[in-house]
Amino acid sequence: MFGSLAALQPRQLAAQILNFALVLSTAFMLWKGLSVFTNSSSPIVVVLSGSMEPAFQRGDLLFLWNRGIETQVGEVVVYNVRGKDIPIVHRVIRRFGGGSAPLSLLTKGDNNAADDTELYAHDQSYLDRSKDVVGSVVGFVPFVGYVTILLSEYPWLKTAMLIFMAASVVLQRE
Amino acid sequence: MAESKISPYSLTDLKNTTDDALANYLRGLHFHQDNTKLDVRLAIGYASVIIAAATFAADYKLGWEATKGWTAVAVVAYALLNGALTYWTWAVEKGCVFDGAKDGRKISIASKTNKHEPTYYLTVTDSGSGSTASTRQIQAPFTAWFTADGFFVAKPFQQWLATSVEAIGDADTKNASRDERDELAAPGPEVERIAQSNGSVEASGTESKGKSGKRSKKRG
Repeated sequence: MFGSLAALQPRQLAAQILNFALVLSTAFMLWKGLSVFTNSSSPIVVVLSGSMEPAFQRGDLLFLWNRGIETQVGEVVVYNVRGKDIPIVHRVIRRFGGGSAPLSLLTKGDNNAADDTELYAHDQSYLDRSKDVVGSVVGFVPFVGYVTILLSEYPWLKTAMLIFMAASVVLQRE
Repeated sequence: MAESKISPYSLTDLKNTTDDALANYLRGLHFHQDNTKLDVRLAIGYASVIIAAATFAADYKLGWEATKGWTAVAVVAYALLNGALTYWTWAVEKGCVFDGAKDGRKISIASKTNKHEPTYYLTVTDSGSGSTASTRQIQAPFTAWFTADGFFVAKPFQQWLATSVEAIGDADTKNASRDERDELAAPGPEVERIAQSNGSVEASGTESKGKSGKRSKKRG
């Protein structure tokens, strides 16, 4: 199989590599396009915990929207805790400020007993809407995100999948 | 390449092997290959990949907030380049497998196959020096030059091309069985051109008749 790859003309080899590169770059640019459209650094997230049950289960895929910054009480937002890079999906239960003043939010998981002040960084007792929040949830697909949970819990699966994908694209023509 | 074994049931393998052999054969006949079409595709394609790579690097180093504006520009540029690439492959390249010239005579060959049908279709555009370009379609089953166990056999393939494409036949007279073709009265490009321009039907018609007559006399 690699023999047939080596036998290609340089131009054909370049075209073959281009095919593979285009698959990757198109996937990446579609993601970035969605980011630009929704104004969110991560427009699609997967629910990792059961803290929002029964609204959202582990493995649900959420679509975020980050235009129109006036978040209201009752909206479900995704935020990053300062210093940690784990997105958390929780509901807004209090809001302070807003309008011309900077908007601050307090969140709580539907399935949690207490609000999120414990989860926030040490010197923080509320979220800064413009800095911490990635977006508000506008739609979801149940369960399909479970694949990514499996991939992050069993890292070897990720490696295996990447190798398989790369091999199949490079070794096949068309 | 031609020596390697392929699956004779895979239409993609049949077509790719034949495409490669066709280009090799014509290069062997000293047709000077013109790679402009492929080069343009590579240039557009790699330009868009570079844009994506730069966006990735900037995002990785500086983060989303700092790169927002430029990312929007890059996304639009990438979409435009990809549109151009699609246009180029579908409307300009159209499955072109060989562009080339020999002694001022240009030929351009595009190949295609239909799903689940083991036939090789070629569209050959032949433009001699001065005369207008003529386009014709030829086709042959892959079984003509593949053995049952998937080996490519060059001889019958080259004979088919040399016999059915005038420009290749001129370059490879050994493989062009012209007498046989004349006997079968397969329409060559000259005859086609006569049929298209109604004005000079009679004059050139008699001329070509005379030619074939001379040839059969020679053989007999």
